[in-house]
Amino acid sequence: MELPHVPQPIIHLSDVRLNLESRAGLVEILKGVSLDVPAGQSLAIVGPSGSGKTSLLMILAGLERATRGDVHVAGRDFNALDEDRMALARGEDIGIVFQSFHLIPTMTALENVALPLEFAGARGARDRARALLSDVGLGPRLDHFPAQLSGGEQQRVALARALAPEPKLLLADEPTGNLDGKTGRQVVELLFGLKQRSGATLVLVTHDDRLAGACERTIRMADGKIVADEQTMVAA
Amino acid sequence: MSAAAADVGAPARRARPGLAVSRLFAIALRELGAGFSGFYIFMASIALGVAVIATVGTLSDALRAGFETQGGIILGGDATFSRMHARATDAERNWLEAHGRVSETATLRTMARRLDGEQQGLVEVKAVDAAYPLAGRVEVDGAPFADAMAAPGGAVVDRVLLSELGLGIGDRMRIGAAEVVVEATLASEPDAVADRLTYGPRVFISEATLLKTGLVQPGTLVRWRYAVTLAPESDGAPADLARFRATASAALAGQGFVIADRRDPSPQITRTLDRLRQFLTFLGLSALLVGGVGIASAVQTFIERRRTVIAIMKTVGATSRTVLLIFLIQVLAIALIGVGLGLAIGLSVPRLLIAAYGDLMPVRAELGYSAASILASATYGILVALLFTLWPLGRAELIKPSVLFRDEVAPERVRPRWGIVALTGAVALALLGFVLTMAESARIASYFCGGLVLVFAVFTGLGTLVTRVARRLPRPRWPELALAIGNIGAPGGLTRSVVISLGAGLSLLVAVALADASLMHELTSRLPQRAPSHFLLDVPKAEADRLVAIVETEAPGAHVTAAPMLRGRLVELNGRKVEEVKPPPEAQWVLHGDRGLTYSDTLPEGSTLVEGQWWPADYSGEPLVSFERDLAHHLGLAIGDTVTVNVLGRNLTARIANLREVKWESLSLNFVMVFSPSALAGAPHNLLATISLPDGVALATEANLGRVIGKAFPSVTVIRVKDALAAVNAILSKVMVAVRVAGGVTLVAGALVLAGALATAQRRRILEAVVLKVLGATRRRVLTSHALEYVLLAVVAGLFAAALGTLSAWIAVTEVMKIPFTFSPAAVLSALALAIGLVLMFGALGTWAVLRARPAAILRSE
Repeated sequence: MELPHVPQPIIHLSDVRLNLESRAGLVEILKGVSLDVPAGQSLAIVGPSGSGKTSLLMILAGLERATRGDVHVAGRDFNALDEDRMALARGEDIGIVFQSFHLIPTMTALENVALPLEFAGARGARDRARALLSDVGLGPRLDHFPAQLSGGEQQRVALARALAPEPKLLLADEPTGNLDGKTGRQVVELLFGLKQRSGATLVLVTHDDRLAGACERTIRMADGKIVADEQTMVAA
Repeated sequence: MSAAAADVGAPARRARPGLAVSRLFAIALRELGAGFSGFYIFMASIALGVAVIATVGTLSDALRAGFETQGGIILGGDATFSRMHARATDAERNWLEAHGRVSETATLRTMARRLDGEQQGLVEVKAVDAAYPLAGRVEVDGAPFADAMAAPGGAVVDRVLLSELGLGIGDRMRIGAAEVVVEATLASEPDAVADRLTYGPRVFISEATLLKTGLVQPGTLVRWRYAVTLAPESDGAPADLARFRATASAALAGQGFVIADRRDPSPQITRTLDRLRQFLTFLGLSALLVGGVGIASAVQTFIERRRTVIAIMKTVGATSRTVLLIFLIQVLAIALIGVGLGLAIGLSVPRLLIAAYGDLMPVRAELGYSAASILASATYGILVALLFTLWPLGRAELIKPSVLFRDEVAPERVRPRWGIVALTGAVALALLGFVLTMAESARIASYFCGGLVLVFAVFTGLGTLVTRVARRLPRPRWPELALAIGNIGAPGGLTRSVVISLGAGLSLLVAVALADASLMHELTSRLPQRAPSHFLLDVPKAEADRLVAIVETEAPGAHVTAAPMLRGRLVELNGRKVEEVKPPPEAQWVLHGDRGLTYSDTLPEGSTLVEGQWWPADYSGEPLVSFERDLAHHLGLAIGDTVTVNVLGRNLTARIANLREVKWESLSLNFVMVFSPSALAGAPHNLLATISLPDGVALATEANLGRVIGKAFPSVTVIRVKDALAAVNAILSKVMVAVRVAGGVTLVAGALVLAGALATAQRRRILEAVVLKVLGATRRRVLTSHALEYVLLAVVAGLFAAALGTLSAWIAVTEVMKIPFTFSPAAVLSALALAIGLVLMFGALGTWAVLRARPAAILRSE
């Protein structure tokens, strides 16, 4: 007898809490977040400023350690990993895109994109980086340094870099936040196109309803909790 | 929005008359309330340089004050008259006594021996009359000084001699032909400083005892010295002293006396002190200027962090000038704190130094606070601060308010207004002018400034070159190395700071180490191989043959050379008094004090005739002299010119017949002046002799030879070259330590700059490390890339410093010291190790913080 196919969740969070020390004392950032995201899904996290969206994304990226609760991402128990294993996990399975791009200023576009592949010891890192940059329309700008690129171009390099190691999970924090409307739309198209082609799971934090609307699922956060979780009908 | 900004600007303009200096100060200080972080290196750099300059100034003022107030004691009277060989005639003595109380002393170098002849040692005998000392006291352990001198054959000796000879108080020893009794040991001698450097332990005897030694023969190297305390009616006030000195110079003209008075008891020491002060002030200034690189980068960083503040100020109506003034006030306030700290250190360190090492100083230092020294140190500090801050401040005033509206990814590097550029140039000129004004020798000061500019230019150029090469280099596949090279080539990276900060100090240290290695090699291995084994002073002419016979018996195959030796003083060059001649520093020694003189009918060994003709063997005409070529050139002398020397109280004028090149380093019998025999043969004199032993002579034979000669010729002074070289070596080592400390101070300034540069780059490095971690880099990878970057930079800076240091040492050793250059890989390797060590040490502190940084917090704040 054949069992019905139930996709394994690539993200499993159970009662995740995050407390941070601040000058004013202990601040509860996340107050028990539970979330399962099946592989291949696109998910938008929305909510007002200070609701915990970015903190949740940081926990998913392994850049912040949950104070309590289970964090399983791409088959790994993050609570059991030390800092370096977490870095290796990111190198293998997680790509991240930031609002402020965070390219390495001393490296060219090509070197920035090749870097995670070189970290992973992949063969032909530069060829793959070249192909990816060509895909995002930056074929002629391989040897430019970040300071020589426009904001939109920098974000496209960041996208290519995030996707270079073919991650299972793509995380994006306000990816269009620093871009003008038109450039933002181009980057979004590219983001979803690449996601589609690679079959990766996409989790993005945004204030932009249109961007959220392009995702298959949207969770809304307020005061450190998920207050709404809805499937979106509109596909990108 | 921009309209609103313009509206806001209007009332600010109206209020500008209110922006008086006080308002500017208020705004500047309020703004500074944000904290001093980022300015500690600035303050420390200023404080270090100012502290060095202030310490040197205070200490040298204290020594000078000591000289001034204790001049009479140091000199042993109000004025002294000294002369080699010839005791004062009755007429001279009468003239001196007519002006005040007179004390006569005679000093000579000779041997003291145990009565059994088993041990002997070189001593400096000082024979004194009953009036000695006219000023101050001789401190002794044992019988009172006057009693010791009054006792028949009584001697007061340096303790060192007693342990050398194995004697104690009450024991007897032999000096010349006399037996003396050790009545007391010497604790301190008031006029020791004025007696020049002494080579052996001091022995005080009375003049009566001196006569019994039989050492005072015509031609013996005895210095007769007459101290005079002016008669009470003249009060010894400086005006009288000056008048007395002028009268004395006129009355005793041509008698060959060297005259000194208590206003400047030891011109030699005063000169040395002045040079030392100059050298150490330059050192402080070098430290300040190296620190200046750190100051400039601290201000640059400060301005970059204040971009928004500056833009906001301008949006609400501040003019560029107001912005410049506000930040200039802040920077000057910080510079003043640095100057204050430096002065506090500079004024207290001398106190500690005097407490710890006061006994070793030539005079009791009298600490005071001289406004001139304090002002000079502060001026250096402020001028250097201005020199390095005006440029970045000039760029700050050009920041546009528009940065508030659009984030500039890479702010372009702009040149400040021409006014600021001109002002920076004016400050540089003012600093140069100040250095030249304060310097003892403007020539040396301009060499120093030129050298410093060169070093800065070389290392700034090198920094730029390394950055460019790193940028063009194909990136290696190893990501850690690629990152390291990327950072080295990054604009605004560490490269320039590291190269400049380490370069100057390290090249100095390498140069010192290599010069030291060459000198040590020369002194410890090359010289002793070539040099004679013994020098013999005061060998009576009649005893020369007996001496040769004894040496041949004791050490068969040994070679004895001897030359007539008198001492005399140059008094005129071409009829012009030497006091009026101003030769370059390297030739001044020839005119100060006595020179050894000799005569010969043939060209001496070790000399080469380079110009003119040697006189015929039977020449008996006008006195002729052969002069050493380089010194003749420095003194402006040529063949046919005349020189006048005072020998035995009489002036002798001779015409220069030829010039010789002398190999001083051969340590054979070398003289600046060699006369034709007819000029000097009639004067009573002894011989100076050297003994060269054949190869393979046992040490015991060498040591024994000295003893045998000592026994056979009680009046001959035997100096073993090995001992003399060891003594020179010991002095040289101390000098080298001092110079190393000097290099060390520059390196400390460099380390401060390095720390500042690393601190400045810290924020960018933390962000970069976080991004690397995001991309899957482990901590080991981050650490490796940092270490690679630091090591690469340190190696490049170290190698260039080693190259520049080697070049400087090579020039100094071969051109100035004129000895062969010895390369020491150890010196270069230790410079490299020091560079790598320093960069890694400071880098590690930064990397520790980088690795500990929490990625989420950093990413969120960006």
